[in-house]
Amino acid sequence: MSEFRRQHPIAAVTQLFVVIRQNIVPFIIFVVLGSRNSGDYFWMIILFGAISTFILGVVSWYRFKFRVIDDELQINKGVLVRKKLYLSKDRIQVIDITEGLLQRMFGLVKVEIKTAGGGTEKATISAITRNEAIELRTLLRENRQGAELKADETSEIELQEKPELSSPPKMWVLSNRDLFFAALTSGNFGVIASILGAVSGQLDQFITEENMDYVFGLLPGISQLTVVLWSIAFILMISYILSFIGVILRYGDFKIEKKDKELLITSGLLERKQITVPFDRVQAFRFVEGVLRQPFGYGMLYVESAGFEQKENDRSIVLLPFVKRDRLSSFLEEFMNEMPESGETIVPPKRALFRYMRQPNYLLLIAIPVLWLFWDWAWMLSLLVIPFTLFGWLEYKDARIKVAQHTILMQYRNLARTTAIIKRNRVQVSDISMNPFQKRKKLSTVSITAASGAGGKTFTVNDLDEMEAITLLHWPINALQ
Amino acid sequence: MDLPEITENKLPTEPSKRIDENAIKAWKLSALLFGAIIYAIPGLAYLIYKLDGDISMLYPIIAGPVAVMLHCLMIFVFPKIRWKRWKYDVTDKGIDMQRGIIITKRTIVPINRIQHVDTRQGPIYRKYGLSSISMSTAATTHEIPALNEERAVELREIISDLVRKVKEDV
Repeated sequence: MSEFRRQHPIAAVTQLFVVIRQNIVPFIIFVVLGSRNSGDYFWMIILFGAISTFILGVVSWYRFKFRVIDDELQINKGVLVRKKLYLSKDRIQVIDITEGLLQRMFGLVKVEIKTAGGGTEKATISAITRNEAIELRTLLRENRQGAELKADETSEIELQEKPELSSPPKMWVLSNRDLFFAALTSGNFGVIASILGAVSGQLDQFITEENMDYVFGLLPGISQLTVVLWSIAFILMISYILSFIGVILRYGDFKIEKKDKELLITSGLLERKQITVPFDRVQAFRFVEGVLRQPFGYGMLYVESAGFEQKENDRSIVLLPFVKRDRLSSFLEEFMNEMPESGETIVPPKRALFRYMRQPNYLLLIAIPVLWLFWDWAWMLSLLVIPFTLFGWLEYKDARIKVAQHTILMQYRNLARTTAIIKRNRVQVSDISMNPFQKRKKLSTVSITAASGAGGKTFTVNDLDEMEAITLLHWPINALQ
Repeated sequence: MDLPEITENKLPTEPSKRIDENAIKAWKLSALLFGAIIYAIPGLAYLIYKLDGDISMLYPIIAGPVAVMLHCLMIFVFPKIRWKRWKYDVTDKGIDMQRGIIITKRTIVPINRIQHVDTRQGPIYRKYGLSSISMSTAATTHEIPALNEERAVELREIISDLVRKVKEDV
């Protein structure tokens, strides 16, 4: 691999597919709803966009060359701005191999090479053959380990232990039953937002008085409200089905393999994605019990790992898509080498209960008067005080911190219940804050921030006793006995 | 410089050191200059009233005095409270900072998490011989504002020495 080589020509097309896939929902709605009135121009714009993306893809494929030479991965690329990206082997942390849908059809893979350190960089080779990818990985890996061994003489002992450690490779597999239930309970209604966003732009043409009169004429005795309710139910149904399919596709055939220094996560039915989590980059774990999952005792486990991703959404890595809460600690011990610790539990004091129960209701206090301007029946919403207060009580019951020697466990509820385990020597910052109302009751809010991706992730528990909060504030720098 | 010892039995209920008193003057000046931007609101209201006449004359008439009051608050009240609330400590374990006019916030940055420290000085701070010092971790950036120039430089050296020492220990 010491000569420069190009990617498989299919790389020229992948860009086009990425663009299409990112905009698939708006695109479909746009085509279905928008094409009627806009005529030929519409198709010309689409065609122009596709052709220019394709040409751009071909040129950037032509310019993209890579090789491995002198302990370095060298990439030359760029259409307008030429860029030379040189990554030295010992800075490379993670090499991920992903099979996208398009790549799969041609027996190709995508390789992502991520480095860690001050300047975080990521190199992506979007289409090469599987053999090339494996050759690349062994080349970059072998030398790295060789260098480590040279640099570290004490690792002789490790060497002897290694075969023993890695002899039965530990695996964790998501069963089909769990996958099914994960999909059933995912309730990822984020999809709704994207659909609604796309629809609302096109809706104006349909909701004209004529159309509405026509619809109501067809359906005698059905009020406007019923139509609205049915549409909402319909949209909810669609997004539920989409989220169901989404989970099946994303977490189908999910498995974890434990290696000496890292965890290898592979998942996805159409697009097979592989993520490497080096143990020494792990900052915190986060267990999220969604509203639909918590009653059954299940949730999703994330790991916060430092280093690579800039985008907020990609920072947390899904470690287990669906797992029972009581199996967590044995999993962490077995796969992540995290020993369970006994520690001191801190909960909000009794005097905080009313603050917890009051807080969700502030939303109503603002929302009702505003809604009342538009809707005469808005006062009916004041009945929501009861569930909101109950919700506040739940938040109070779930708020808890457990401090131990090396880890802190923080549990709190927003809508889903989150339980975070943060390693002490990974805490970036600890905060306490107090507003005037809290001051009167001697209560404080405690936040702890761990690094996640290229930024941070903050975990917060409200209304703890002031003195206990001060102890927690100092916990990262002072071990508790 | 003395580094207060934090023992496990007795945690300080708040940090002990204050920032430079000149901070109040500097903040007053910057509130006088930059706070003036709020006059854009009554100005705009007046302009719309004048050009369009579509809104009531009451808007600019009310917005004007309100803007003046807010500006006075920004100049004469907030800088003083802000200075009073700002306290910090630098120990061999971490940086302890407390601030906030209405909501009091206290932050501890463990010393071994600090990636770099630098001091900054804008034109207003320079006029009053002040400097701010900022520290970045992998996730966040923190600033102690308005320290005496020499003190800021001294503190920057102390912090980077502490960081180096801790990193060597590990």
